[in-house]
Amino acid sequence: MTASVPSRLRLTRPRRPGLVATVATVGLLAVAGCAGPAPQSTDGTETLSLVATLGGLDTAGYERALEVRDFVFPEDHGPHPGFRTEWWYVTGNLTSREGRTFGFQFTIFRSALAPADPGGPSAWSTNQAYMGHFALTDITGEDFRSEERFARGGAGLAGAQAEPLRVWIEDWELSAADPAATGTVRASPFPMTLRADGKGVDLELVLQSGKPRVLQGDRGLSQKGAEPGNASYYYAHTRMPAEGRVTLDGQTYRVSGLAWLDREWSTSALSEGQVGWDWFALQLDDGWEMMVYQLRLEDGSADPLSDGVLIDPAGRRISLSWGDQVTVTPTGRWRSPVDGAEYPSGWRVTVPDRGWDLSVEPAVLDQELRVAFRYWEGAVRVEGVGERGRPIRGRGYVELTGYAGAGIE
Amino acid sequence: MRLLTKASLRYLTHHRLQLLLSVLGVALGVAVVLSIDLAIQSAQTGFRISAETVSGRTTHVLVSDLGSVDERLLNTVRIDLDITASAPVVEGFATSSVLPGRALRILGIDPFSEGPFRPYVAGGSTGLDVSELMTTRTGVVLPASLAEEGGVSVGDSLPMVVEGEAWSVPLVAIIEPADELARAGLADVALMDVAGAQEVLRMVGRLSRIDLRISDDEAGSAELEAIAGALPDGVGIESVGTRSETMSGMIGAFDVNLTALSLLALIFGMFLIYNAVTFSVVQRREILGRLRALGVTRDEIVRLILTEALWIGIVGALLGTLVGIFLARGLVGMVTRTINDLYFSVSVQGIDLRPFLFAKACVLGVGATLLAALPPALEAAGANPRMAALRSVVEGRARVLVPRAALVGSILCAVGIGVLSIPTRNLVVSFTGLFFIITGLALITPAGTLVLVAAVRPLLGRVWGTLGLMAARGVGASLSRTAPAIAALVVAVSVTVGLGVMIQSFRGTLVQWLDGTLRADVYVSLPGPTASRAAGTMWPEVIEDFVGHPEVSGYSTYRGMDLVRDGEAFRLVALELDPRGEGAFDFLEGSSSDIMARFRAGEGVIASEPYVFRRGLERGDSVTLSTASGDRALRIIGVFYDYGSEQGTVMMSRSLYDRLFDDPGVTSLGLFLEEGADSERVVGDLLALVPPGRAVIARTNDTLRSASLEVFDRTFQVTAVLRLLAFVVAFVGVLSALAALQLERARELGLLRASGMTPGQLARLVVTQTGLIGLAAGVLAVPMGIALSIVMIFVVNKRSFGWTLNMEVGPEVLLQAVGLALVGAILAGVYPAWKMSRTSPALALRGE
Amino acid sequence: MNDRGPSIELIDVHKSYEEGERTHEVLTGTSVSIRAGERVAILGPSGSGKSTLLNLISGIDLPDSGTIRVGGTDLGALTERDRTLFRRDHIGFVFQFFNLLPTLTVLENLLLPLELTGSTNGRADDRARELLAAVELEARAGAFPDRLSGGEQQRIAIARALVHEPDLLLADEPTGNLDQDTGTRVVEALEALVAAQGTTMIVVTHSRELAGRMDRILELDHGRLREG
Repeated sequence: MTASVPSRLRLTRPRRPGLVATVATVGLLAVAGCAGPAPQSTDGTETLSLVATLGGLDTAGYERALEVRDFVFPEDHGPHPGFRTEWWYVTGNLTSREGRTFGFQFTIFRSALAPADPGGPSAWSTNQAYMGHFALTDITGEDFRSEERFARGGAGLAGAQAEPLRVWIEDWELSAADPAATGTVRASPFPMTLRADGKGVDLELVLQSGKPRVLQGDRGLSQKGAEPGNASYYYAHTRMPAEGRVTLDGQTYRVSGLAWLDREWSTSALSEGQVGWDWFALQLDDGWEMMVYQLRLEDGSADPLSDGVLIDPAGRRISLSWGDQVTVTPTGRWRSPVDGAEYPSGWRVTVPDRGWDLSVEPAVLDQELRVAFRYWEGAVRVEGVGERGRPIRGRGYVELTGYAGAGIE
Repeated sequence: MRLLTKASLRYLTHHRLQLLLSVLGVALGVAVVLSIDLAIQSAQTGFRISAETVSGRTTHVLVSDLGSVDERLLNTVRIDLDITASAPVVEGFATSSVLPGRALRILGIDPFSEGPFRPYVAGGSTGLDVSELMTTRTGVVLPASLAEEGGVSVGDSLPMVVEGEAWSVPLVAIIEPADELARAGLADVALMDVAGAQEVLRMVGRLSRIDLRISDDEAGSAELEAIAGALPDGVGIESVGTRSETMSGMIGAFDVNLTALSLLALIFGMFLIYNAVTFSVVQRREILGRLRALGVTRDEIVRLILTEALWIGIVGALLGTLVGIFLARGLVGMVTRTINDLYFSVSVQGIDLRPFLFAKACVLGVGATLLAALPPALEAAGANPRMAALRSVVEGRARVLVPRAALVGSILCAVGIGVLSIPTRNLVVSFTGLFFIITGLALITPAGTLVLVAAVRPLLGRVWGTLGLMAARGVGASLSRTAPAIAALVVAVSVTVGLGVMIQSFRGTLVQWLDGTLRADVYVSLPGPTASRAAGTMWPEVIEDFVGHPEVSGYSTYRGMDLVRDGEAFRLVALELDPRGEGAFDFLEGSSSDIMARFRAGEGVIASEPYVFRRGLERGDSVTLSTASGDRALRIIGVFYDYGSEQGTVMMSRSLYDRLFDDPGVTSLGLFLEEGADSERVVGDLLALVPPGRAVIARTNDTLRSASLEVFDRTFQVTAVLRLLAFVVAFVGVLSALAALQLERARELGLLRASGMTPGQLARLVVTQTGLIGLAAGVLAVPMGIALSIVMIFVVNKRSFGWTLNMEVGPEVLLQAVGLALVGAILAGVYPAWKMSRTSPALALRGE
Repeated sequence: MNDRGPSIELIDVHKSYEEGERTHEVLTGTSVSIRAGERVAILGPSGSGKSTLLNLISGIDLPDSGTIRVGGTDLGALTERDRTLFRRDHIGFVFQFFNLLPTLTVLENLLLPLELTGSTNGRADDRARELLAAVELEARAGAFPDRLSGGEQQRIAIARALVHEPDLLLADEPTGNLDQDTGTRVVEALEALVAAQGTTMIVVTHSRELAGRMDRILELDHGRLREG
């Protein structure tokens, strides 16, 4: 199990650093590509090679994830500006009272453009840049909408703070629902409020902690490679009961469901040879969660560092080693209408030791985010056999990168 | 080739000088019109491209009358109102010692907001690394052309003076704009992050404006409405078109003035062509008569003459185009500098060679040529085939025409006066009236010449005997040929006189005004991009130090803001006056002490003459200003003479200003010194008090006065050049007409030589005759020039700028005019005289 | 023009000129008739109106009253333009001063009337050279008129007047500017050509000798023509 830790952490590393790195270097160029209020269209010419992007990054002057550390809350809910990259990554599945089902993705990326703040008297002065991605899948209506935002971490446009928790880019925000209350319950930002809008969608949720937070890797240090410092600090909330409302084109739905939060900060970058990844976060009806990722290499094979983990109803982590303890097999394909890029669509996921055999199907086929950095991230339905051979259902999120324009040449 | 065409071609090639001068006339006229057009167009294009490049795809802007808005307004718009396409802009000007003579336009932006606006910032095509820009304090990005000019490369420090403060800013990137347009638009732009721009421009917490991109539909209107509802007092929303129209409208009067002057040159060119064609017709009267006898129809004759003119026009226009481009290169610099001196900073990247302007100049040139050739062509065709040969008949007819022309001329003058008395501020109307008068005067000229020559004839007879009488009679006798030449010369000289008197009067008035206005001993301001207007905000501690100088006994402070209201720009000034400075204002009406008492008490504002004139206001009316607490109407308690700003100025006491606006800044300072203090030395002391890294301009009364006059002189440089060009055109006209006249008299002169006249006597006869014409032109030009200057001073200038000028007629302008005309005319006689005196009388007698 | 060539008719023609305050009566009710092919001399002192008469017959000028018919065409009924075209087609002119165009060569001077009447083909050139030969000046075809002597110029003028085969030749003092010998040669040239073409000819002259060579002599006296 310990052998698989680095690879598991490594999986989660690349999936977001790619995006965050985009903010750091190409993202600003991409701002133009998305032409402000209409970021829907992005053609492949404006995106760069993921590896080239990450390979070019200089880590000098930044803090590094060198060793296991004690996480301190509430501070660690907030930003770690000395690290190059950081994110607050929330996905979830919701159901309205009428039975209408939705999926959502809400991400705020932070990226340090330079190790040090430039200083100066202006409120605009900062080395911190923020990018936000927000997507809503109207599963019942078979509709998917996404939007991205960029802003500097200055002049109140975007930022992050720990106490009381508030992470925001313009009016998108993840914050402690009751700032006064957090003062008393020091270590927890819960309940949290999540708010985002765009493309005729308005989302407002209150998130509860559900299960205790999970420190990934070795007590939260997610080792990425052999060299010291090639790692991140990483924790997650894998089952957050969510409640609130979704407004879609003026129609408001009261919704409830489950959400998943990933928190990670680091400075290091992707390694050579990796072209993309398939990432699965599944929440099953019996209280189990499963996270699996397959890291793909240039030759099309899976990196042996691909990995998986199970969380039991009590919040305990069970690591799975890739290839024997967990397998992922695509069962279908889907082509992007933008350029015909082919994505896998539908999978069979098995955990042979435990008898798990799950079928994972996209809730809506087209959940591609056509933003500066194109990728597919969407709600999925899960059905099959779970723990102790019982038939099980569930919902979750899948992220597929490196298939279209962005991240691959 | 048809024989008729061949005949006319051979005629023209035999009279090369005449042909050359005709072509030259067209060419000069076309060149002047084209060059002025090009210069103006280039300045406007420079302005427009730079404005468009700087505003990118912005549709609307949020601006405040006071020049800046609170930066928090952006959050209100972007976050509360959810207007995603909104961008902060901090703008200002800087100079750099490595880029001498340039005003750098600092453009402070937030790269993350730029997507919808400025592709060169966000597009990636320029290769701009915006993270470097954001994370390097006061980092600056220059276009490649500027970096090259300044000899700086990435990583270097660029020395820069901004609002009087010296900076050394790191050059973080050099951009190479992808297209020519962006390259031109960015030619003077120093791109900075909004944070850095705020810091160097001392605008922390403020934005120059907020750029918006609002769609032109219902949703857009709703957004505009929402924004309008959320704006604080003093902040307005303007469409970008309105804004740049206001800016280019500022130089409208300037443009019209120059265009009118350039058209004048073309009209002189027309005179020249008329001269030349008339000559060629007169000279060929006999030939034309023979052709008519042979059965050539009138139409064919008209066509023949017009075809000749057409070719002259075409060749002249083409030549003029080349000369025009050449001239434009010189003029564009002057025009740009004037705009920079008086209006706003504009950078002009070369000449905007717009095909339309070439077409226009060529059509004007060719059209003018044909128009000028039409009367002689018709006359040639109308001539009786046998009678045509009889010159005395023609001359007799010309003499009948003289009083008629004078009558028509008087009528035209009356029409011109009528047009001028139309109460309008439209400059085109004014110039139309002026042109009527000029044309009218030109028509009166021949009659004037006859009267003048008749007057001097006895005198000439006494001095030179028969020869003098012959010369005098010759002028009158050959009037059909000399009249256009004289008219052209008179008009050219009178326009020279008119412009001269106008400029002299203007300068005199300005001197007088400066003497009255500049009351303080030392003036202190910040270095800025526009020479005629102080800008920026002085440091309070520096003011304190200056005022505390032991030899400073009192001071006035000045706060000036350039505002735009209802699409019209003007300057708002807050004054805190030392009692010694109160007498500086000269009011159109009302007691100065009463007005100043009310001014001090903050009972209202005083407005400059151009301000009230442009808006049709008068004393007692009110001025509405957007103050910190919303719109406020303020009564105009006095109107003062002012020549500092053609846009107009509104002044209020500092105490009133402080009540209305939240702006403690001071733009410039006037210091009054103790009796007997040496202001030069005090200026030295004061400059020594300025902390290192900061710069102020401290000038004594005298220095400021002469600096102001320098700006004035620069402003009128273009006018002076045009005046000169117009004169050259007319001069060439006279030269060609008179020279041709004398050459044509070859047979007559040959007869005189044969009858025993010496070459010297002949030369004297010829030169006396042309000299007489010159003298007549010069003398006639003086009253006409003064009449023109009266029109220019009291009608055109008043209308374009709203300035009342005191007319001043200096003898040197008049003597210069008469002298020029005389010299020109005498020179015109020298060549034929020389040629005739070297020719054998027998040859001359033989004729064609 | 009818088949018999021009018959020129002047009926009660009056013409006067304003000269300052005075009115100068030139023709006071002149009537005359000239047959086709006739060669007529008009004699009269200076200022008697001889040239005016030619101007009227050629349509250059119009009478104050009276009718002028040339070949049956009433000139008074034509517009200025039509009179010019009429002249171009049917009349040849020889003046006292040589009336050549200085900017055209001798040959080109001859070609001009042909070009004006629209015959500008190769035959025109032949025709012009033929006439040059007739006046014995073919060697000077390329010269400009100012290179020629007075007699030569006048011979060229005669050739030009006849080159387009006009029905009527008007000559105004054709020898007035020439010495006796030269004048004789010019007149001979003129007669030869006119005879060859059968052209009607009216010669205005002071010279009794020249007049004597014509078929008929008319004298202009006090504004009226009478047979001399």
